[in-house]
Amino acid sequence: MTRTRVILSAAALLLASSALPAVADDIVLGGSAPMSGAQAEFGQSQIDGAQIYFDQLNEKGGIKGNNIVFKALDDRADPRQGTLVAQQFCDDSTVIGVIGHMNSGVTMPALDIYSECGMAQVVPATNPELMRMGFETVVRPVANDFVQGALPAKYVTETLGLKKAVLVHDKTVFGQGIAGVFKDNFEAGGGEIAGTFGANPEDVDFSALIASIKLENPDVVYMGAGMPQLALFLKQMREQSLQAQFIGPDIGFTVDFITQAGAASAEGALMTFQLPPYDSSPELRDFSERHQARFGRAPGPYASLGFANAQVMAAAVEKAETLDREGVLAQLHGVTVDTLLGPVAFDENGENTTASMYLYVVKDGKFELVK
Amino acid sequence: MFDYFLQQLIFALAIGAIYGLIALGYTMVYGVMRLINFAHGEFFMLGPYVYTFVFSGLVGLGGLAPMLDSALAIVASFVIIGLLGVTIERFAYRPLRAYGRLAPMLSALGMSIVLQSAVRVTVGPQPVHFPAIVASEPIAALGGMVTTMQLGILAAAILLMVGLTLFVNGTRLGIWIRAASESWTTSSLLGIRVNRAVSLVFFIGPGLGAMAGIMYASYYGIMQPTMGSVIGLKAFTAAILGGIGSIPGAMLGGFLLGAIEVFGTAFLPILSGGLIGTEYRDVFAFAVLILVLLFKPAGLLGETISEETTVAKKDY
Amino acid sequence: MGTSVIARRAGLLATLALCVILLALVPKLPPYYVRVADSILIYIILAVGLNLVVGYAGLLDLGFIAFYAVGAYAYAFLASGQFDIHLPFIVILFIGAAAGAIAGVLLGFPVLKLRGDYLAIVTLSFGEIIRIAINNADELTNGPQGIAGLDRASLFGLPLTSPVHFYWLLLALAIIICASVYYMERSILGKAWRALREDQDVVRGLGINTTTLKLLAFALSAAIGGAGGVIFGSFQRFVSPESFTFQESLLVVLIIIIGGVGNIVGVIAGAIVLVVLPEVLHFAAQYRLLIYGIVLVTVIVLRPGGLVSPRFNLSFIIRKVRNLWLSPSKT
Repeated sequence: MTRTRVILSAAALLLASSALPAVADDIVLGGSAPMSGAQAEFGQSQIDGAQIYFDQLNEKGGIKGNNIVFKALDDRADPRQGTLVAQQFCDDSTVIGVIGHMNSGVTMPALDIYSECGMAQVVPATNPELMRMGFETVVRPVANDFVQGALPAKYVTETLGLKKAVLVHDKTVFGQGIAGVFKDNFEAGGGEIAGTFGANPEDVDFSALIASIKLENPDVVYMGAGMPQLALFLKQMREQSLQAQFIGPDIGFTVDFITQAGAASAEGALMTFQLPPYDSSPELRDFSERHQARFGRAPGPYASLGFANAQVMAAAVEKAETLDREGVLAQLHGVTVDTLLGPVAFDENGENTTASMYLYVVKDGKFELVK
Repeated sequence: MFDYFLQQLIFALAIGAIYGLIALGYTMVYGVMRLINFAHGEFFMLGPYVYTFVFSGLVGLGGLAPMLDSALAIVASFVIIGLLGVTIERFAYRPLRAYGRLAPMLSALGMSIVLQSAVRVTVGPQPVHFPAIVASEPIAALGGMVTTMQLGILAAAILLMVGLTLFVNGTRLGIWIRAASESWTTSSLLGIRVNRAVSLVFFIGPGLGAMAGIMYASYYGIMQPTMGSVIGLKAFTAAILGGIGSIPGAMLGGFLLGAIEVFGTAFLPILSGGLIGTEYRDVFAFAVLILVLLFKPAGLLGETISEETTVAKKDY
Repeated sequence: MGTSVIARRAGLLATLALCVILLALVPKLPPYYVRVADSILIYIILAVGLNLVVGYAGLLDLGFIAFYAVGAYAYAFLASGQFDIHLPFIVILFIGAAAGAIAGVLLGFPVLKLRGDYLAIVTLSFGEIIRIAINNADELTNGPQGIAGLDRASLFGLPLTSPVHFYWLLLALAIIICASVYYMERSILGKAWRALREDQDVVRGLGINTTTLKLLAFALSAAIGGAGGVIFGSFQRFVSPESFTFQESLLVVLIIIIGGVGNIVGVIAGAIVLVVLPEVLHFAAQYRLLIYGIVLVTVIVLRPGGLVSPRFNLSFIIRKVRNLWLSPSKT
């Protein structure tokens, strides 16, 4: 019994210490994404990207002389965990703004909690529905899936003149959603969808699927899925000599895509991304150097988006008349700032009015911007 | 259509071979211990990581001929992961033997979380490119296409399966294993060191899992810390389908599950007129499993339950 | 002699009072702690439900979360704009429990002749089939997108909006369920289950229909799972398939094993440990899951029978209280 009691009190102590308030002068901002479990790679990259920006600000003396503390909590991509994290941020009165969450399904039930405690929230999740729920505490700097699905559909129908497409998606909110957007735009451009194929998010063997897609003989394959699935699918597609134009969403915009698919297979694949090429501007070059120096590795899949989200949050804090939740929230929607993503300004729903999207093509083992 | 069928059959055989190899590990452990070893998928995952570690180490030291380096690294992976399996059994499962079947199963589940997280925090969560061990050249065959890689996987898997069968049926150590699976008490009365048989099983099972992992990584060109979770569950399903505890059953179950998945993907939409999409593949696979078990309650090649088996009296 | 009894009575009274006060004080904590308490209570309800099958009847169910999903989606269908149906919470609570029970019988009826691990894998398959079906049936369930904006629940005209409201609701329900399960455990039915767990052939030999017994355990546990799902849906006001994964099923099984199989006190302890542990481990960032796994294995190896000894169960506590109060001379 005494042993149990010791363990219990130790647990209580730890629980209490994890909620200790930060030093008074610090500006505490929260961030949440999956940092353990299967999606850790993506979540961690976002958190790391944001951390780089806050480090950069602190080097220059922080905001109005106050040091910024970025408090990142793991939501394990689980909706229930997400609500617990949201409540923890809300209860900690020092936290005056949150960047989160990465998954739409986790963000959805957390919106309620953040809005109830008046917490300014920068949302990284891209599901269009999130911004139409009528919450006034949220903004989203990154383009939603509508923009991302529309751009390549327009390009292949108008510029390349390809008219027959097959959709593949992984039955996730993101994958299925974006494939649906592509479909609408592709059909609006006069194209025909010959078939839609669902897979599982963890699948690695697409050989059977590809063999049946071959029967449709499409010009275009649009795939709404994550990594490494995009690369594996493309590799297996070329192995079965299905030569259709391959298009994928932002997750695939990484060097890993080309190495995992093989440079020969990846050649000609199209990919959308929210940023201009990393070597196109000094800021982007600087960002990837800083990331390398701080974490010892190149920026992960969503690092640059995390950085841009942090820029927006910091801009709102900078403008705030008082350094508290009301102050930040009052400025959130009015923020206009030049980020890594380009200029950002928000409409009445909190969507970025100028959210940009770039189309890339793989050429000689490298991503090149399609003009 | 026939070409299409043949082509799909080739895919089914390749993936089925890998399932079968992993299922062997489940079934051997189960045969001796009556334990669902939830950590088995992680041995599969560790295979390519250990291989890469050893291989790059050899190359770093100057290396021998490339083929020899690979072969050495493969053998080293088998041994290292086999020993890891033995160690885990010793410390995480053996103390729990007297406590029914749930405690070791959950301990295995905990080990699975530990192994997977350990790889994730040390090597990183991202999928890593795995260079093919044998070059993959397409060969036209029977109107379809088969790659040298697929043939290699099939050959290696069958070789390992045959080897295991010969070992279990023909050698002294194999007899220990079979005796321990039959009856723990009788074997120890006969002077068989049951603990050695258990250790042996925990060496071979994870070793085979690692072999499957290397084949898999080589086939698909990647490895990642989560790769063992889904495939582990599938291989477990395959072992049950074939009749858990039975070595030929595990192989049959593996090939069958591969076929169910591939043909489910290939023919469900066609046969249902587009009503049931490819996303129902796993529903189809699980439904077949349930149906098989309803008619063959101990799996396809499993022993029918007799009065003596402890499983009969107690479910859990 | 007399003073020692008085002292022990006072001690017992103090312990009981402390428990009640602690439970009553939870709502005074910051909302985050209340939410953690809500999570614990939900998992207590689920684990007590699953314990009927695993702990009492000795059947391993690896797809329990499917019944939880059935309940949660029952609330989503019947109290949201999805089909524009808005039934009162209490009605859906019963519908959800009934739907869970029906699902339990539908699953149980054909498969309960299977034994041991074959039953385990079939329940696992069932759980996965339900989750994949929910994920794929876009027209009905919105697929992976989930159903958002569920109605705010209200009970007898009182709106349930805050975590504190749900705390009281969950606490009441948990107490009702624990009490009913406790009485069931001591009834002839409970004894039959226990016999079934030890040796089902003997039970059958006595002329008892083991399949009916198993089916009853399955249906009751599924009903509790369904009710838990309804509350989860109304609390979260959002349901999506990612809340009902195989890992969640395993978590409930883990709670039972860690706490102590077949013991309500153990199940409660297990739920507290396994819900609080990941929260405590937030500081460990990416090492969180690793430490969680290590703690898990260590606890199981050190206390294979569960954290709470089988002797320390509800009837033990009740007996102790009664003895000390009614016949102090005997103690």
